[in-house]
Amino acid sequence: MKVSMQWLGRYVDLTNIKAEDLADKLTLAGLEVEGVDPIAQGTNLVIGEVVFCEAHPESDHLSITKVNVGDEVLDIVCGAPNVAKGQKVIVAKVGAVLPEITIKASNIKGQASNGMICSLLEIGINPKALSEDQKNGIEVLDPRLEVGQEALSTLGLDDVILDIKQTPNRSDFNALWSVAYEVGALFNREVNLPWQKDFALKGSKSDLIIASETPKCPLIYGKKIGRVTIKPSPEWMRRDLEAVGMKSINNVVDISNYVMLETGQPLHFYDGAKLPKMEIIVKDGLSESITTLDGSELPLDSSDIVITSNNQAIGLAGIMGGEDSKIDESTQSIVIEAAQFSPSQIRHTSRRVNLLTEASQRFVKGLDPQSILKALDRATELLVEYADAQMIEETINSGEVSKDLHKVSVHLQHINDLLGTEVSLASALDIFSRLHFSPVEKEGCIECTIPSYRLDISVAEDLIEEVGRFIGYADLKGSLPVMPTTQGSYDARQAMRQRLRQLSVGFGMNEVITYSLVHEDKTKMGVYPLDNPASLLSPLSEERRFIRNNLLASMLETAAYNQAHKIKDFGIFEVSNLNTIAINQERYAFILSGQYERSIWQKQVLPYDYYAAKGIVERLLSELGVNLSRVRFDSNEGSTFFHPLRSAIVKIDNKVFGVIGEIHPKLAKAQDLSTVVMGELIIEQLLSLKLAKVRFSPVNKMPAVVRDIALVVDEAVMVSEIEKVIKAVSKDRIQSVQIFDVYQGDKVEAGKKSIALKIVYQANDHTLSEEEITQLYNNTIEACKKGLNAQLRIA
Amino acid sequence: MENVLKEGLLAIEACQNLGDLQNVRNEYLSKKGLVTQLMGKMKDLPAEDKPAYGAQVNQIKQSLEAAFKLKEEALQEAAFDVQLQKGKIDLSLPSAMPLVGTLHPLTIVQTEIEQFFMGMGYLVKEGPEVELDYYNFERANIPQDHPARDMQDTFYINAEWLLRTHTTAIQTRTLEAYKGEIPVKVICPGKVFRKDDDDATHSHQFVQIEGLVVGDKISLADLKGTLELLARHLFGEARVIRFRPSYFQFTEPSVEVDVSCHICNGKGCPTCKQSGWIEILGAGMVHPNVLRMAGFDPEKVSGFAFGLGVERVALLKYGIDDIRHLYTNDLRFLNNFRRFE
Repeated sequence: MKVSMQWLGRYVDLTNIKAEDLADKLTLAGLEVEGVDPIAQGTNLVIGEVVFCEAHPESDHLSITKVNVGDEVLDIVCGAPNVAKGQKVIVAKVGAVLPEITIKASNIKGQASNGMICSLLEIGINPKALSEDQKNGIEVLDPRLEVGQEALSTLGLDDVILDIKQTPNRSDFNALWSVAYEVGALFNREVNLPWQKDFALKGSKSDLIIASETPKCPLIYGKKIGRVTIKPSPEWMRRDLEAVGMKSINNVVDISNYVMLETGQPLHFYDGAKLPKMEIIVKDGLSESITTLDGSELPLDSSDIVITSNNQAIGLAGIMGGEDSKIDESTQSIVIEAAQFSPSQIRHTSRRVNLLTEASQRFVKGLDPQSILKALDRATELLVEYADAQMIEETINSGEVSKDLHKVSVHLQHINDLLGTEVSLASALDIFSRLHFSPVEKEGCIECTIPSYRLDISVAEDLIEEVGRFIGYADLKGSLPVMPTTQGSYDARQAMRQRLRQLSVGFGMNEVITYSLVHEDKTKMGVYPLDNPASLLSPLSEERRFIRNNLLASMLETAAYNQAHKIKDFGIFEVSNLNTIAINQERYAFILSGQYERSIWQKQVLPYDYYAAKGIVERLLSELGVNLSRVRFDSNEGSTFFHPLRSAIVKIDNKVFGVIGEIHPKLAKAQDLSTVVMGELIIEQLLSLKLAKVRFSPVNKMPAVVRDIALVVDEAVMVSEIEKVIKAVSKDRIQSVQIFDVYQGDKVEAGKKSIALKIVYQANDHTLSEEEITQLYNNTIEACKKGLNAQLRIA
Repeated sequence: MENVLKEGLLAIEACQNLGDLQNVRNEYLSKKGLVTQLMGKMKDLPAEDKPAYGAQVNQIKQSLEAAFKLKEEALQEAAFDVQLQKGKIDLSLPSAMPLVGTLHPLTIVQTEIEQFFMGMGYLVKEGPEVELDYYNFERANIPQDHPARDMQDTFYINAEWLLRTHTTAIQTRTLEAYKGEIPVKVICPGKVFRKDDDDATHSHQFVQIEGLVVGDKISLADLKGTLELLARHLFGEARVIRFRPSYFQFTEPSVEVDVSCHICNGKGCPTCKQSGWIEILGAGMVHPNVLRMAGFDPEKVSGFAFGLGVERVALLKYGIDDIRHLYTNDLRFLNNFRRFE
């Protein structure tokens, strides 16, 4: 909220308190001041009188003037269209520093100019508060002003506005009077509010009917004032309102606004003659429409609280009054309404009709239950003083303002334990007294009586916070918790995630984090998408309606983005959990694009193909403790997401663990991607798998014998079958089978392929003899011929 | 005879390569070589002269052999040097550098914070992103009808389930799981979601880390000491922090925590909007209602809690100007984050 220092100074003495100091103190006490803005800025500004004014001979828009500034008469060339002899004006003398310029003595087209006649815009007044004429021309002042006076203070433009960010608990700061209490307490200064208690109590007998027919309006007070005079507001009131950005309309309307800003209680004034009947009844459940003060027609919802008179809607409660009964120049009598409405209902209605008014904001945040009385007293008094109010009738009410104040207690020990301080009883009592909490101490327990406007104080901890705020946290010395030592660590899931990330980075991939909210289309593709993806009731857009149920669908966007930005070769990965209602599943996914370029000129370039993806999966799994003999790569034929013949379903212990492979060419085209390989793994499953432990096994010191063979087999024979057949020849004599060439072409028969293998024979207990090796080799050939219909290839 | 030695040594010296040297060796030391011929002349000498003559020829032979050996070594060395020179390569050609990827900046910051707290004995607790309204709001002391629960700010899935709006949901679950047992000493990292339009400073999805300590006589001073260490760990040893009273439903008293600006050291700069301070955390003492609802007795135990936005720390630490960079995953952006701390 915006607080004018000048206005605040009417209630609490701000002498010798600079705006910046006030702002700092408020900020450190929890009222964050976000802006300290003088309403006008400029040095060397005085009131002057134009004593001579003539068109500039060399210009079609400039004027030559002589301006009396008291101790001298200045020659000033002025460009304003409205300058004229006899005007009282604001003059910036030579040396004046204005927001945009510094004034220097100059010569404009042959004429001396020693100063500038200012518009309000030029001295920094908010353009929103100015008319077009004021923005385009100089400000013409009251002719009664005395020449030579300092301009800003004379014109009341030396005010400073503090922009305070309110925390939701301190709704009391919607009332300037509460801000005054806070400032008074912080600076230990007396607060004097112009509140004449019970001023509105008296009045002649009234025929006004006031009633509430809904629990959403527990309190409503009304008061008829039979005669008022509509006229302009007094200067000080107009200035105060304008300073905080509120337009002055007339004395009566301004009083309702002024009192709302002072007390926080929104008031509504109806034109007494325009009410359909001398009654105000609050209802809900209506479903007509209403034309509000701003002229717009709003349809009503049955939950809205509506002010009615003779069964006609005359106001949307707490938000805006009706057009039909508004105060205007012809108003002679008024009815004042002050009420409390359900904050949540006002919030809902205000949101629905998209009207956030000064009044609605206050109702939403919550009102001091006693502010109705304060506001009625203050408004009546101001109406008497500035609107010649007469024929004041008694106040009529439905519901009664509770005058009970609640009490909250706190132990001094509790204060110091929770804050970690050593506050004395005396200072605690002093703080509570300054806050008007009327503290009473008994054996270290302090009982406070909470003023009605402090809605935020309900438990001991709230009182402790007040002490903390007032002593300030600057001197609070930091300590560390004293407690039994605990061990900090990652759990298995977190540790696995970290390991996966480190390994993936080591493979040359960049980690990405993509949005969890996706378009519905993305929930229907990808690797084993979770069933029943959750969707949002009210999403930001259709693009972000669903909670993703697989990773790759959304990561493809990232791949496409980078390819579109001419980044061709990359690997990206993401580790994330997937969520639907009551399901939380950890996944890992990666996309490889282009090639792995270790050194291009040395031809150390690895294509990112199916085998690269398979390698990543195998390396990850073996590093995480899954022996590769447990892992299978099964055909993924029929896939529409992956290339059906260049992708595989990964299984561990025969259970599906994920899918890897090349993207389906049709999908790649649809996603504007050039071919990528990718994979998504349900790493959640690793958490329940038995994983290998690190264990020492002795090094085999027996000599090994290596034999190369080349086999010609049918195209359809998979290499894994060859390995299997060979390994079956001897479990403990064949240490490894390595494929080192695969050939298909002119040199082998059509429909066949040649596979070259390196076989290592080794026993672990003796050196293999020549006969043993020959026997093993022959057995190997034999097994391949028999089991695979293979022929030995002669080089 | 003197000449044989002199000429021999000169001939050895004149050799340019091992082939020449072998020829010279043959000329002098082979079976028909000059030294052998000298030795052959001995038989023609008188017996008394033979020993002296023989010794002299032997002397010549040894001298030549020694010279051959030295020359041979020198020539071998020279030949090796020539070979070595042939092996010269262009040292400036690009290397075959192993590829190393990058961790996402949010992961880097999150891990750094997690490890800082693990070092102080905190456990890392997580929870579901699709959360019950109950844990996200009710247990966090945010009652029905509180503005924070509006559709306006929260992604609801149905009346009961929502996308968690803060990691406080993990705290409320964790507190419940401890069943009133102290100490509780955890940090709770995770993705959270709010209905904000994405712009340079807002993201509908972001990462929060909250911390929670509940024990015997835990105080606001303990919170300050803990966060002072964190601020220094993240932003440098010279950092100081400042508590400003604030308001959160979950805590009472509540504070906003500012860290002295790491760019200007508190003098004022664009990063800290000239204030010298950067707001970085919300924190406070766990509200008695929260403790009570989770089965702790606020008369007997107390606790502190704090929360920070990982994006905000990443933006500040690395000088990133737009939060959306973090979710665009442009590789040119990601490749900035190569040095891990």
